[in-house]
Amino acid sequence: MKQIIGVADMKVSDNVQDTIVTYSLGSCIGLVIYDPAARVGGLLHFMLPESKIDREKAARKPYMFADTGIPRLFRAAYELGAKKQRIKIFVAGGAEILDQKGFFNIGKRNYMALKKIFMKNRVLIDKEQVGGNVNRTVRMDIQTGDIFVKTSGSGEVKV
Amino acid sequence: MTSLDRFIDEINRLTPIPAVTQQLLAVADKPDSSMADIARIMQYDPVITAEVLKTCNSAYYGIKHPAESVKDAVNMLGIDKVVELALAHSGASALSGTHEGYGLEQGEMWKYSIASAVVAKDVAARLGLKNKNTLFTSALIKDIGKIILHKYVLSAREKIDRMVNEKAFSFLEAEKTVFGIHHAELGAMIAKMWHFSPRMIKIIRHHHLADEAMVKDKEVAAVYLADSICMMMGIGVGSDGLAYRFKKQAMENLKITATDVSLIIAEFGMNMAEVEALLKMR
Repeated sequence: MKQIIGVADMKVSDNVQDTIVTYSLGSCIGLVIYDPAARVGGLLHFMLPESKIDREKAARKPYMFADTGIPRLFRAAYELGAKKQRIKIFVAGGAEILDQKGFFNIGKRNYMALKKIFMKNRVLIDKEQVGGNVNRTVRMDIQTGDIFVKTSGSGEVKV
Repeated sequence: MTSLDRFIDEINRLTPIPAVTQQLLAVADKPDSSMADIARIMQYDPVITAEVLKTCNSAYYGIKHPAESVKDAVNMLGIDKVVELALAHSGASALSGTHEGYGLEQGEMWKYSIASAVVAKDVAARLGLKNKNTLFTSALIKDIGKIILHKYVLSAREKIDRMVNEKAFSFLEAEKTVFGIHHAELGAMIAKMWHFSPRMIKIIRHHHLADEAMVKDKEVAAVYLADSICMMMGIGVGSDGLAYRFKKQAMENLKITATDVSLIIAEFGMNMAEVEALLKMR
């Protein structure tokens, strides 16, 4: 079944019939994780780097932020039997508007926030398609762990 | 026939945005406008009234007794919300559909338009700008030029892609170079032929701030900011992607910080249900 992950949302699955997808990432980040042994996969679509700008919103929508969303994604995957040392990680999104430099570059800040959390937790990214000026859609098959990226205007390509 | 004549010919064949929209805008942004003024205008457009009541009675607004008249709706949701629903409806038929040249599937441009309008409303409130309904509607219909230009973009897609990907053109600059007009200018032409106010024509024409002099205009800059934020959020963004220029100067003139931008994005993230409710309008 196709499971759609909306903006500021997250889903994990161990159902091999499932395909999980998130549309139109823009400067947001789509973080895809997969444990091939347990056949458990998950996807988080977060919008902003840090929850400290609004704790109350973060409490109501934790998947909106990198720092509150990422740990929840991993924990949810562990609950379905995934193991940290086996998890493969793919990152997409973090696009930027032309000339959007410095602190206004939400795409880059989202990506840096994710890297910081991964560094602290000794987690490595296997593959990524981040930055640039394109809008990306990401899909993963739970059975195989195959990941596909579609940039609008062109077809879907396997990662 | 020159290419300009051809565009004019195509505009003449579009179904215009309902006249009630402009009548509503003419009174809605006046501080002394009353419910009676709004109801009087809306009563002549049964379609808009029906759509507003339908949305007002939808699950999202959760009102106990269904509204049966514009007056009921205003009593339950307030005058601002009812005006907003009526204005949102005004763009629905023109902006729905697919726009292949921009890689936009069914309803995606409408989604982007609604998102822009909702963000523009938030920006207007944060900046204390008075004409919030004008800004909401301008943001809603700012990409109307794309409904004509998308066919031309489709036939020149490879050329435009080369310009953007290899020659560092923005998408807007590529449109201008290839067609002699970009979608914001074409949108302003449509708005003019539909007799929109000079203020709205200006906002639509300059919503990408291609003309640097316009960064000082707060209303133009506010809609520009709303558009930039929607591009970042990716909702309903087409194959032109984020290939437009970011103008830091506009942020500085509006005294908008990067934290403000994050807060506006977070606010939008909380209001996705509102956007979904508006999207159901026809």
